Amino acid sequence: MSRQSTGYWFILPALVVLAMLIAYPVAYTGLLSVTDSQSNFVGVKNFATVLRSRTTPQAFWNTLYWVGGSIVFQVLLGTATAILLNQRFPGRSVVRSIALIPWVIPSIVAATTFAWMFHTEFGIINYMMTAPGLIEHPIGWLTNRDTVMPVLIAINVWKLFPFVAVMVLAGLQSIPKELYEAARVDGANFWEEVRHIMLPQVRPVLVAVTLLLVIWGLNSITIIYAITRGGPANSTLITPIQIFRIAFENVQFNQAAALSGMFFAVAILIVFFYIKALAAAPGEAR
Amino acid sequence: MTTNAHVLPPKQAAAAENTPSSGKKAGKLERTGLGTPFVVIGCILLVVICLFPFWWMSISSIKTLRELYTVPPIWWPAAPTWDNYHKVLFESNIPRYFLNSVIISVGSTGLALCLAVFASYGFARFDFKGKPLFQAFVLVGQLLPTAAIIVPLFVTLRVLGLVNTYWGLILVYMIITLPLSVWMLTSYFKAIPVELDEAAIIDGASRVGVLFRITLPLSTPGIVAVVVYSFVTTWNEFIFALCFASDSSVKTLPIGLAEFSTEFNTDWGAVMAASVVMTLPIALLFLSMQRLFVGGLTAGATKG
Repeated sequence: MSRQSTGYWFILPALVVLAMLIAYPVAYTGLLSVTDSQSNFVGVKNFATVLRSRTTPQAFWNTLYWVGGSIVFQVLLGTATAILLNQRFPGRSVVRSIALIPWVIPSIVAATTFAWMFHTEFGIINYMMTAPGLIEHPIGWLTNRDTVMPVLIAINVWKLFPFVAVMVLAGLQSIPKELYEAARVDGANFWEEVRHIMLPQVRPVLVAVTLLLVIWGLNSITIIYAITRGGPANSTLITPIQIFRIAFENVQFNQAAALSGMFFAVAILIVFFYIKALAAAPGEAR
Repeated sequence: MTTNAHVLPPKQAAAAENTPSSGKKAGKLERTGLGTPFVVIGCILLVVICLFPFWWMSISSIKTLRELYTVPPIWWPAAPTWDNYHKVLFESNIPRYFLNSVIISVGSTGLALCLAVFASYGFARFDFKGKPLFQAFVLVGQLLPTAAIIVPLFVTLRVLGLVNTYWGLILVYMIITLPLSVWMLTSYFKAIPVELDEAAIIDGASRVGVLFRITLPLSTPGIVAVVVYSFVTTWNEFIFALCFASDSSVKTLPIGLAEFSTEFNTDWGAVMAASVVMTLPIALLFLSMQRLFVGGLTAGATKG
């Protein structure tokens, strides 16, 4: 009995802080979303206002595009990097450290540096593409509505693929040697090993990492906000930035709360279905 | 591990069937692996992709205005200059923002560590009703879309009078640092044999005494990992700082940098110099602790 209550005392301080910072604000968001700025109950009026706005669906699709596009390439590149760094070659530890650099650099620094590199007139990227004749004229990467989102996604991929690589590499290193030896006896070549041993064995890692990437993707404001602030013409406006704008630029806290609530619900749904789909997948122990 | 157990036996059996000397033979079998050209090209590509922006940032920061704005770009400045750094360090708010960032990052890292040490010990060493629920609740913080709680947090901080104060940001950063700190430390503490705790308690030590004299000294790598993680994430944090620190007396470096670069006439040389100033401490800290940090993170992931 005494053991039990002692445990509570140890975790109590952390729980109180988190309850204050998470549970209370979440509950308060619900309250804000159904009232007006004078705290009068207004039902679903805020939700209706937000949903009627033309920017809301646009921001929603942009968010999906941003998160989906980022994750696909982060996972592909990250896994490929991990397999490469799992090989034995001289200087491997140096390359491993270097591969972590994009992840170490603060997002805001990555954003400003790439904004300079993608500069229309003086950017190094336009120069590297015009000089060998890949493109004829410099492209306004960050001002053209068609190129801006793919460029931002590329920056985000650059920033986070090292994280995927680190986690997958750890997974690769924990694969028992016997599996490889058995495969070699059977005459497997490298690519068969990748397909039949490495990928199936790191699948749980990939599942966990992808979930984290989804959540981080839904949270990420920094790169987009620092480079385009959601422009040009809202073509890179994602829902988190829209919430920020409604709350702090239009000062409509109640509408922002309504949008937050819906955003939260959609995020939970995505995570829920993701976990559900994987729980149902065959061969998954957890 | 369970999946391995299923896969292993038939294959091992197959290997054992071959010949009695199959063990030796497997050792001599040629290593399969990527061909050397693949490895070399892959590594060169990887290194270039990872380092080029960093290198370009550094080069741009020591260029004069004229060298910055030329086509084709100059790969190595003819006359490297410190003017941009001078501008950033002596003619802008960046040093003040740097100080703010240090205070806020150190404060929230320290506070998160104190709370996480106790909570993790509680989770690692005690069984109590509702433990899985509490653990899940702690992790929810990591899963929450931060944008969804900005508004109520702002209202809460305003009521408490903590908007535009160090304490406001330090507290808010607990949301980011505390859950993962608890997660990582719990797995570290679990790895320390319970017998050590029990022996100390038989010798008359209190629970808190055990925590500070036995568990903590044994989990130094975990503590370092948590400190590095918390410091790096709070140092880089952007959204909360943008919303809760609008006064230049508490603005952090990321906000200062964003201001710098989104003004109409961006001074790219100064922006790049400020970027270097902001990156250096974090890069040094991270690279010196890299091994420990990555170890701690992945330990948490596999044992969690």
